[in-house]
Amino acid sequence: MAPTLATVASATLLGVDGHPVTVEVHASGGIPAFTIVGQPDAACREARDRVRAAIQSSGLKWETCRYTVNLAPTGMRKAGAGLDLAIAVGILAATDQVSAGDIGRVGFVGELGLDGSVRKVPGVLSLVDALQTPSVVVPRACAVEAQLVARHEVRAVGGLAELVGCLRGEQPWPDLPAADEAPVLEPDGLDFDQVHGQPFARGALEVAAAGGHHVLMVGPPGAGKTMLAQRLPGVLPDLNGPDALDATRIHSAAGVRLPAGGLVRRPPFRAPHHSASMAALIGGGSARLQPGEISLAHAGVLFLDELAEFPTFVLDSLRQPLEEGVVRVARADAKVSLPARFLLVGAMNPCPCGMRSSPDSCRCTDHRLARYCRRVSGPLLDRFDLRIDVQRADPLDLLQSAAAESSAEIGARVSVARSVAASRGVRCNAELSPAALDRWAPLTREAAAVLEGALRGGKLSARGLHRVRRVARTVADLRGSDGAITESDASCALVLRSEPSFLVARMAS
Amino acid sequence: MGSAEALPSAAFTLALASLPDVGPARLLALADVHGPRRAWDDVLAGRAHTGPVGSLMTPDPGGLARRWARAASAIDVAALWTRHLAAGVGVADRSDDSYPAVLAEDPHGPALLIWQGDLQALNGPRVAVVGTRDCTNAGREFASALGRDLSEAGVCVVSGLALGIDGAAHAGALSTGRARPIAVVGSGLDVIYPRRHADLWDRVAADGVVLSEHPLGTEPVGWHFLARNRIIAMLADVVVVVESHERGGSLQTATQAAQRGRVVLAVPGSVQSAASRGTNALLADAGVCCGVEDVLAVVGMVAPQVVERDRRPRPQGTDAVVLAGLEAEPCSTETLMIRTGLPLAEVAMALDHLETAGWIVRRGAWAERVGSSSEQSSL
Repeated sequence: MAPTLATVASATLLGVDGHPVTVEVHASGGIPAFTIVGQPDAACREARDRVRAAIQSSGLKWETCRYTVNLAPTGMRKAGAGLDLAIAVGILAATDQVSAGDIGRVGFVGELGLDGSVRKVPGVLSLVDALQTPSVVVPRACAVEAQLVARHEVRAVGGLAELVGCLRGEQPWPDLPAADEAPVLEPDGLDFDQVHGQPFARGALEVAAAGGHHVLMVGPPGAGKTMLAQRLPGVLPDLNGPDALDATRIHSAAGVRLPAGGLVRRPPFRAPHHSASMAALIGGGSARLQPGEISLAHAGVLFLDELAEFPTFVLDSLRQPLEEGVVRVARADAKVSLPARFLLVGAMNPCPCGMRSSPDSCRCTDHRLARYCRRVSGPLLDRFDLRIDVQRADPLDLLQSAAAESSAEIGARVSVARSVAASRGVRCNAELSPAALDRWAPLTREAAAVLEGALRGGKLSARGLHRVRRVARTVADLRGSDGAITESDASCALVLRSEPSFLVARMAS
Repeated sequence: MGSAEALPSAAFTLALASLPDVGPARLLALADVHGPRRAWDDVLAGRAHTGPVGSLMTPDPGGLARRWARAASAIDVAALWTRHLAAGVGVADRSDDSYPAVLAEDPHGPALLIWQGDLQALNGPRVAVVGTRDCTNAGREFASALGRDLSEAGVCVVSGLALGIDGAAHAGALSTGRARPIAVVGSGLDVIYPRRHADLWDRVAADGVVLSEHPLGTEPVGWHFLARNRIIAMLADVVVVVESHERGGSLQTATQAAQRGRVVLAVPGSVQSAASRGTNALLADAGVCCGVEDVLAVVGMVAPQVVERDRRPRPQGTDAVVLAGLEAEPCSTETLMIRTGLPLAEVAMALDHLETAGWIVRRGAWAERVGSSSEQSSL
């Protein structure tokens, strides 16, 4: 037979970003073969078997000839099965089963089953975003997500036979599943009104939510640290457009189930276990450079329970993303930068025996205590704007029937504080630069005296000073004051950033 | 062997004490019956278990005797002795004239005594002030004040140089320079433990005496401190336990003292304070110590008159409410908020005011009341 060539537009995923890929299929006579070139990974190379089976079981013809599939650009590694559909369409076009004109202005994304069904793939949002064709064909399960880009004519198909019928014009394109405009957010059942007592911890978390301040909770087992942390996303405002799109891209790329409506509108909450590997937490992996937990928590809350149990090198790897809001993962053949701007909530016991809830009740030996202190490095501790002791609630408070303040009431105050911060040109007060602090958070004379006392007493470092001023700004914002930082704001911020109890040494005389 | 004949018997006691697995009881049994010189020969010959110490060498007397013989063959008695003399410490065993009479009377007195400083410091009335390492600020202040007042009255303060109460008592005693402090430690005199008290250790050795029953180079091991407590109990005329947890080592000092017929006093504390649980329980058997007068009454002395005046400004408004909510034991901000019903901002501000005025001290997230400003200055 005479050699024929077909090209099909598709895209592949690296990190959370889509990259356009041109699938070139060359069919010619000679010894029958099917090779894929252009740096396919194992899953991608296995497309050979899936594509042949899918074409055969869809009632289409598998011509016996020599196929060479090239994935351009060849310099980039292609991972996963998302190119299956484009390869199949390319083969059908090269063997004249669909016309090249019908597919010239269409991009294809999807994985094929052996029965010819089109299956969903991770990262459809980013893949569709990378395609420059006026229309795209995606698996039916990804239709809602694909429409979020809103730049393409989206076609959703369930199988290869159906797709060929539509491309040939033998049947109309199937209707798209309707995207809910304002989907009802499923309540997760977590509300602050279930937390009785603990006025200090509740207040601290409100400040954390309003100012985007990282918070470290230290308390004995059963004090309710996890309970408090789980309720923190509930008081954060809904994600704005760009944040929601970023979060959706990340969740989609990691294959996490997206909420109804496709868009991640609520701040995510991620709580990896302390056995999590570096790659699982930061992102990476060998082939696809998947986003890690810190990226999945982008625009939301990353909760690290039992902070001291995490390996020290894993914790210290958080320092750079905490500063920059992105994490750059590099491997020999690929580099990606993943968004990772999250609110870090750490929780840990005050000491190995867990009883150091007051300085005289711990029975740990000096040696064990010293080892425990070393588990969380100073630079990481420094990055927590808020460091609070969480105590077991007063039993009387637990039995009290009066409902505590609900998440909705707290959330309303948080939203107001966040909008005040937005008027200063930052997402939240935690991002205020030292220069911006001088402009937006001037100190009254009394407040300056309080901070000066703390500096002189060695309770505060120069860097800690900026953090305390940011927290004081948030405290003032929550109070509804836009003016200078007062004495009570400064005192409050200092109390909220006390030295963690496990570092309070036994008294030497 | 010619030079060995010239060595004092304390040199052989020292060598015996340097053997592995030799505690106070075995050392005493080894040295007491035929004298350390002959005991050393027995050990070298591997027949230590045939002597009176054999009953203490369970479960395997023969094996232990062989181990001792092996270890003893590596010890040069003369060199060990010279090394101790060169280090400037005093060494005595029970046969020496310099060995203190108060320890010689006791059947469980240490077979070997090594000291740094002046052994004459043991002359005169002695009161032990002991307690927990995990003390409250109030306990520390009390110990410091008691140490100071006892020293002011000419009473030697005996303690263990540990963190917390022990160290505070010594620091208080050193502040006057009137009476000489006595410390008993659980390690070799060149192994300073706890490291944080290195300075205090040197000052006690300079003003008074630091005692140990371990050769130089001995590391502090848990049981050393229990054995050390028995020496404190022997030395003291009165033992005052300032703060102790439910199962604290200082309660053991009290028991040892009571067995020897010494007077034991305990300082009452809040029923809610974990650091006073042991002392409060001890009050059922011990006397009450609420100040230096109670101790001096036991030793038959009268306290010197001290005039104190509180110069701190009286707190006003919310500051007074917050101070009223605070007790001597440490208290968290959250507890204060619940006790006073005040919002965080007001509690935080009041705590700052009170701290500046000297009414409270803060450790990490906790605040606690302090006594009068004069006590604070001595810390």
